[in-house]
Amino acid sequence: MTTIKEIKDQLSNKKISVQELYDDYYNKAKKSELNSFNQLLEPEYNKQNIINSQSRYDEEKDLPLDGIPLGIKDLFCTKGIATTASSKILEKFIPEYESRVTQNLLNDGSIFLGKNNCDEFAMGSSNETSFYGPVINPWKNKNQINDHLVPGGSSGGSASAVAEKICVASIGTDTGGSIRQPASLCGVVGLKPTFGSCSRWGVVAFASSLDQAGPITNTVEDAAYLLNSVSSYDPNDSTSSNHKRDNFLEGIGKNFDRPITIGIPSDYLKDVSSEIIEQIENTKKHLTNLNINFIDVEFTTTDFALSTYYIIAPAEASSNLARYDGIRYGYRGKGDSLEEIYVNSRSEGFGEEVIRRILIGTYVLSAGYYDAYYRKAQRVRRLIKDDFQRILKDVDFILTPTTPNEAFKIGEKLDPIAMYMNDIFTVPTSLAGLPAISLPSGLSKNNLPLGIQLIGNYFQEKNLLQMASLLEKEFGFNG
Amino acid sequence: MSDINIKKVSYLAKLALNDDKAALYEKSLSEIIEWVDNLKKIDTEGVKPLHNITEKNQNIRNDEVVKNNSTEEILSNAPEKAQNFFRVPKVVE
Repeated sequence: MTTIKEIKDQLSNKKISVQELYDDYYNKAKKSELNSFNQLLEPEYNKQNIINSQSRYDEEKDLPLDGIPLGIKDLFCTKGIATTASSKILEKFIPEYESRVTQNLLNDGSIFLGKNNCDEFAMGSSNETSFYGPVINPWKNKNQINDHLVPGGSSGGSASAVAEKICVASIGTDTGGSIRQPASLCGVVGLKPTFGSCSRWGVVAFASSLDQAGPITNTVEDAAYLLNSVSSYDPNDSTSSNHKRDNFLEGIGKNFDRPITIGIPSDYLKDVSSEIIEQIENTKKHLTNLNINFIDVEFTTTDFALSTYYIIAPAEASSNLARYDGIRYGYRGKGDSLEEIYVNSRSEGFGEEVIRRILIGTYVLSAGYYDAYYRKAQRVRRLIKDDFQRILKDVDFILTPTTPNEAFKIGEKLDPIAMYMNDIFTVPTSLAGLPAISLPSGLSKNNLPLGIQLIGNYFQEKNLLQMASLLEKEFGFNG
Repeated sequence: MSDINIKKVSYLAKLALNDDKAALYEKSLSEIIEWVDNLKKIDTEGVKPLHNITEKNQNIRNDEVVKNNSTEEILSNAPEKAQNFFRVPKVVE
């Protein structure tokens, strides 16, 4: 396993050059057959960045992520580089500006290998809705070795690429679980920060009250490195928080100097398989030596979280995606009138799941249904948030499975509701805006990775990463 | 069964669905709406809608003019343009 810290040490000690490091990852990415990149940047594009990075190492003035080859989910606007959201409607879109998150990563010296495949407009839990085709999970079911498995979604390309180690880390986005669920299915670490931590400016919008960028990495420490870079106040995002950020690396690997209590919600575990429950039991066993106290907690709103999410997220999506009209940018369908251009551009440019979500959203926002669905869901959302606040008064962290199942076969889940159920454990945290991290906890009987999710309190990512790093050490999971 | 008029919903969303697609989405939407209808079981009497988790610290920035893009840059992604404008079919007769 090669961590950011180890790579940086090698670069500082001249064991490897920035160019050699880049070539190594570029060549691996070029050879990959898992479709995890929509676009791999030509080496020519990174030439100057690599030279600049190398001279900073030579002068011992290296930046926090200097020379580190990253994947970027194709949902972040990157100046001069096609940004498609894995949709036909944005196939030829080349942003004239850089998203805040990717600008931060560039400012910290990282090198972009390319744009990671994802579900179209980040709508999906298996990366099968991408216009560029499904991404393949590097893991195989040992009992069905020839099957291609989904990497999860929507940041499936990011998770697959990090697990295949063709990029050191990737930046994804999470609306209802799109970082944590693929991380779990691919056996890597995925952190969704508190809503408001990372700027949404320049991120193709899906559901603006939920969308949040975050790292997908091989280790918890790497996640802290990336979070240090991407978490920042941005006046261009009205929901960006302007509190002072912690140094998220500070707690990594250190024991807590106070007793820690972790709550395990019994209501999350009532319908899950024994294999998933085992992950939780296993986690408890691993932590007994560390002065950690476990208590059972029970939410009253869990049964309503998915319904709330599948009203609010499509409603916001239908509004956000109204901008794709074929006039100013993106795909334009043929038409003799404005109306025809609008309708043809959208009907031909959007894929099946995106159209489904726009229709759901349009329905729940339409006259006569707004109060019954949208307004109602927003009220329930407050109850969900309050429910978390009640439980977080008594515990430091909440421990749950990340997903109800291991990675499944591409093409296996055709029913939308069955697909939505993948996010049953990640969606409640998203609605509450809380930070949560998924880390690999073990392997299933089929030899596929399973993950657990730790949830912390608002803006407590430093503690959350610290806790996760201790757990990671105990698990000793080696992808 | 819900009362989804898929033609009306798709009209509002500026999407054209052929009859097969319309039937497919009508069925799919009905199932999803029925599935989310369990929200009727939770009492929200007197609960204020939550629009945004960060409702307490919405930031307002000063309305200052900054030049961060040009007409040329903005038009570079236009599917059709003419001179300094987006090009569309004639709107006014």
